[in-house]
Amino acid sequence: MKRALYFMLVALLVLSGCKSSRIVDQIQIIHAMGYDVKNGKYTGTAIYPTFKQGPMTKPDILTTESSTTYDLIPRLSSKSALPIEEGQIRLVLFGQQFAKQGIAEIVHSLARNNKVGSHLQLAVSKGDAEELLRITAETTLSDTLYLSNLIEQNIREMNLPKTNLHIFLYNYFGKGRDPFLPYLEKKGDTVKLEGLALFKYGHYVGRIDLRKSFLVKLLLDETKNGVYQLPISQNEKKGRVLLENLFAHSHYSLKKGSSPVIDIHLRIRASIRDYPMWLDLSGQRSFQKVSEQMEKKLNQDITNLLSFFQKKGVDPLGIGDFVRSKTRHWDEEAFYKQYRHLQIRPHVKVDIVQTGIGE
Amino acid sequence: MQQTEHERFHISPFFVFFTIHCSQIGVGILSLPNLLNEETGHDGWMSVIIAGTIIHILIWMIYKIFKSAGENKDVIQVNVQYFGKWIGNMVNVVLLVYFFSFALIVMRIYTEIIQVWVFPLMGAWQFCLIILVLTYYTVSGGFRVVVGLCFWGVMIPLLIIVPMLVFPLEYAHYRNFLPIFDHSVLEVIKGAKASTLDYLGFEMILMYYSFVKNAPQSHKWAQWGNAFTTFLYLIVVCIAIVFYNEEQIRHIIWPTLTLAKIPEIPFIERMEYIVISTYVMVIFPIICLAVWSVTRGLKQIISLKQRISLPIILLLLFISSFFFTKRAQIDQFSNLVSTAGFYVLMAYIPFLWIYVSIAKLFKSKASEK
Repeated sequence: MKRALYFMLVALLVLSGCKSSRIVDQIQIIHAMGYDVKNGKYTGTAIYPTFKQGPMTKPDILTTESSTTYDLIPRLSSKSALPIEEGQIRLVLFGQQFAKQGIAEIVHSLARNNKVGSHLQLAVSKGDAEELLRITAETTLSDTLYLSNLIEQNIREMNLPKTNLHIFLYNYFGKGRDPFLPYLEKKGDTVKLEGLALFKYGHYVGRIDLRKSFLVKLLLDETKNGVYQLPISQNEKKGRVLLENLFAHSHYSLKKGSSPVIDIHLRIRASIRDYPMWLDLSGQRSFQKVSEQMEKKLNQDITNLLSFFQKKGVDPLGIGDFVRSKTRHWDEEAFYKQYRHLQIRPHVKVDIVQTGIGE
Repeated sequence: MQQTEHERFHISPFFVFFTIHCSQIGVGILSLPNLLNEETGHDGWMSVIIAGTIIHILIWMIYKIFKSAGENKDVIQVNVQYFGKWIGNMVNVVLLVYFFSFALIVMRIYTEIIQVWVFPLMGAWQFCLIILVLTYYTVSGGFRVVVGLCFWGVMIPLLIIVPMLVFPLEYAHYRNFLPIFDHSVLEVIKGAKASTLDYLGFEMILMYYSFVKNAPQSHKWAQWGNAFTTFLYLIVVCIAIVFYNEEQIRHIIWPTLTLAKIPEIPFIERMEYIVISTYVMVIFPIICLAVWSVTRGLKQIISLKQRISLPIILLLLFISSFFFTKRAQIDQFSNLVSTAGFYVLMAYIPFLWIYVSIAKLFKSKASEK
């Protein structure tokens, strides 16, 4: 009696793991999904690897059309021999037209979906998302993860601020902040990262270039990495230097009053990677002059960027959220009514730590 | 077992730390940040501290009750002793029904989480069956086995799940704490009331008090157990506050589980599945403890042998689990149980304490004369 009971118990425990299993080569693992809208019809594009002999994979593409966004994935299934799994999606790409119309539906569905991870990347493409996905599948790139790797690499090493599904949702749902996404563009046979797409209430409203997205990266958080080109002049010669960010830290402060003022203190520890031959960086004085020039230019660029945001009425930096943290019973509506006229002053301090191994 | 149990069935006072802590931390912690956010937003951490303090006082009351009523007793005997046979046993039955519902709701919410996250196509009864068979195995081993399970139910999750809470700090916005006291005192207290429900479970000490060796000595361990629970809740709530913002958290049913989506290691990309499976170690001891309490209570009231009552209780649990098929029903029942629990805590325990103290006062006066 007792032995039979134990046997049943073990069988129950062990066999319960056998139900609803999914075997890797009997499912289709989507790596990227694209959404487009054309003449009121939605197009969904999925890119997935097919496993041929050995470790080689070949990207394949499925597309389908529908009048709503909800049944795009079920419709893809009707074209596929194997069940479609969305658990490994690394990138959701929106065509610009689709993004303009609003991505709220997709975003809410992603927020509810427990299968997708928080590290998923979202992005906007200039043309159709389908076109971009086809490039990555069919040209020499031939990599299903190409676009998501491209974005992640640029976050880690270059000018792109950190983004992923979690950060997007944080900015999307949060009061006093607006989301932004990487903006991709087709360049001949390849894809190029072109900056950041800005959103307001889930609609695409504009974009900034990759150079400016470095400034966004600086202003958002403590950051390492990223490069920025600045004009420089010395002894009536003009040229450009390339500044490489080693560590940057921004600090916001608020002066309350009838017309509040926000001061942004930004401290950048940087190295000058490339500079013209004539530039003299040997003495303390000339060094200081160079960094002063840089600070002035950076201040100017940041002011321009901020007034661009203010004119558009978008707040990707979360300035509203910052003011909320300093104000009791913060009123979102009232704040964004006067957001356009808010005075924001950047104060940049550049410390040039090194200039490379040569002199 | 006679009225005074044999020494070998007893546990050392130290283990009360584990039984208290283990029975408190259950499914509640998974949705606690969401619950607090509704009431207190980013000031929720204050509510957690207030609720923890109230529970400390209640635990002190419980120890006082047994000090006055006599050691080696459980609440069943205390009720009969003070309220008479009829009223006392009525209160006892209500308590047992409450413990039964407690086991049921913990089991059902956990199986719901499994259904939503891992196996959407499986029926809830399959998990309930597995858990209940295991419960039979454990509870029939006696109280010491249940306590042993509580020990591991604290240690294993502590080693596996808690370290995972560090990773989300990568996305922390410490600004979210500011401005402090953005909510009124009333809202903070409402939040405290809501989070009191997540401390439920410790009141089962009313049942197993007589099983603790040198029970008065275990008082400090009970308080430490509750302090540790408060500490863990505080950590989880603070991390959720800096990780999410108030609007975002409203869209997430189990914010604590979603936190586990962040850590990523090369061979397991989705840690929340590990957390959900390990979580059975958190849930299981609670169910065992509650089922044990019910069988123990039945034995005290109607002298039903635990060997006989245990299968009946488990069968009842299994059948009752069929009544909940929709999320709304589970939610409704969970609210009902937590309201009942709230009144057990806030009305019954203080009332019993006052009643017992007054009775003791009269008794001592009478004996002086």
